Amino acid sequence: MTKLNMKIGITITMAFGLVALLAQAQTDTPNRSVSKPAAVAYLFPEQVTLTAGKSSPVALHFRIAQGLHINSHTPRQFELIPTAFSIPDGSGVRLEAAIYPAGSDFTMPIDPKTKLSVFTGEFTIQTRMVTEAGNHLVEAKLRYQACDNTACMPPKTITVPIDVIGK
Amino acid sequence: MKRNTLVLGIVLFILAIFAWAGWANWEYRRQAAERLAASAPHGVFILGSTGSAPQFLSPLTGKPAPNFTLEDLNGKKLTLADYKGKAVLINFWATWCAPCKIETPWLIELRNQYSEQGFEVLGISTEGDDLQKDDKASWAKDKTAIAKFVQEMKIPYPVLIDGDSLSKSYGGLDEMPISFFVNRMGTVVAVQMGLTSKADIEANIRKALD
Repeated sequence: MTKLNMKIGITITMAFGLVALLAQAQTDTPNRSVSKPAAVAYLFPEQVTLTAGKSSPVALHFRIAQGLHINSHTPRQFELIPTAFSIPDGSGVRLEAAIYPAGSDFTMPIDPKTKLSVFTGEFTIQTRMVTEAGNHLVEAKLRYQACDNTACMPPKTITVPIDVIGK
Repeated sequence: MKRNTLVLGIVLFILAIFAWAGWANWEYRRQAAERLAASAPHGVFILGSTGSAPQFLSPLTGKPAPNFTLEDLNGKKLTLADYKGKAVLINFWATWCAPCKIETPWLIELRNQYSEQGFEVLGISTEGDDLQKDDKASWAKDKTAIAKFVQEMKIPYPVLIDGDSLSKSYGGLDEMPISFFVNRMGTVVAVQMGLTSKADIEANIRKALD
């Protein structure tokens, strides 16, 4: 083996080593779970293609963290925060309708006579949207308020990013 | 030959810079995570003695309760320092918090039972950290809901508003209800997070009165 081939071989080996070190540094996450994960996560769709100017159905899927529940869209007590989906004005997409699933009955072990109307696990909001022509990256919002069996978290609004293509 | 060596050297140098950038990025994120963890007071649940429920151990336990001045529903200012010499239960709650409403009648009964021994409850309404400061309509709606609840429950102790302003000094207020039991010297002797039982609350009140 010539000296040049040896040098090339050593260089390639070192290059792979450096790339491996670089990749490991980028993928290693020393700060996992420093902040609490959100109680509700948006699942899909990330992108939809709709006919511009026409009211079209879009089903939005969410998941609630295990052990938690959020109020349904129609909680039984007026001061409880309902789950509500919205699309901001000026996004190029208009929310024509949002149909929420029916809530399930929930009672706390310590107060079995009070029934709450809640969502748990995965739920879907059936919407109808009207989009203008073109590509619109919509930052829709979902407001909710989550509790477990003994404590409640403050109301929270999460961003629901949807890429809406109007053709 | 010399040119090849030069080219190899330059390639290695560039790759070394990439590797250094990756390491520097990882180190930066690690230090940022450490700073974040250090700045956020963490509470943990510890196992209680045999047969008793797990206790919530707050970083404020054993320390002086942070002083504050808040307004009640009539706009009258009230300061925690005014209660020095009394045992105080600082109860953070919200109108949208169903467990908070369950424990309120217990707090009223215990407050009436122990008030002659120098015990008071301060109810602090904490309506939510996603309300914008200039959203006057929502804040007004919250104040109406708070007043309605106070009237319905016939709450005899002071109820203060804008508990969110105390979030940082009292450890984040990430969940409610959360109660801080403060003794006559102004030291936090116990912290209770979430709904437990009237007996647990009473045990902590006795600790604060000792």
